[in-house]
Amino acid sequence: MWGGPSTLRLSQYSVRLSSWEPTLGKQMTEMLKGTLEGIVLAIVSARPAYGYEITASLREQGFADIAEGTVYALLVRVEQRGLVDVEKVPSEKGPPRKVYSLNDAGREQLEEFWRTWSFLAERIDRLHEGGA
Amino acid sequence: MAAKWIELFTGSLDQKRRYRQNKARIDALPEPYGTVAKAFQRYFVYYGGVVDGETALTMMGDFADLWERAAADGTPVRIIVGDDPVEFAETFAQAYTGKQWIDKERARLVKAIEDAAPGGAG
Repeated sequence: MWGGPSTLRLSQYSVRLSSWEPTLGKQMTEMLKGTLEGIVLAIVSARPAYGYEITASLREQGFADIAEGTVYALLVRVEQRGLVDVEKVPSEKGPPRKVYSLNDAGREQLEEFWRTWSFLAERIDRLHEGGA
Repeated sequence: MAAKWIELFTGSLDQKRRYRQNKARIDALPEPYGTVAKAFQRYFVYYGGVVDGETALTMMGDFADLWERAAADGTPVRIIVGDDPVEFAETFAQAYTGKQWIDKERARLVKAIEDAAPGGAG
């Protein structure tokens, strides 16, 4: 059923982190769905970036095998919702590359993400420590 | 045939022009990108349920951007799509929040429950 002891088949996210148990795979996919947007906003908040730089940055942070298309879909979503500004830069080959930068609405959304994340993390930690 | 038929009923001349441009971009993709992009386009028609022409065109244009970029860089299809094409298709389609055919039924459901039990958020 599993690809190997260190390979989690997480549908499109396919995160591979050797320290995680394979049985966490399905949960990880579901949890990432809710948080990946915040993670992407956090990356873009550091400095404006191209789509492939954002994917590369996710990989550096340990989200090893997130599909590029998934990141693209997320960037489309935050663009549609007006959370990022997009600048098109001509490319030698293929269509113009898009540079994404966080705007004021995006910064507000990111603040809310961190507040929500802290709240959840604190509550869940408490449950965990309580041995519930 | 189907595309021609749709064009008779969709929006302005400008929208028709943009639809043809997007379609030409997808038709011009080298293999295997062309086949892959068309397979997803077909799925979007069934899954997306977007009835608003502007949103559908934006979606089609963004999708053409994605595959033209991949073709230009020679990025393997699986790097873009991941393991599960359905999951990717649905994540992509959900990024667009244009008018959908289901909206009318959503409003009807909210109203039916509101009439029966007032006081919801909707």
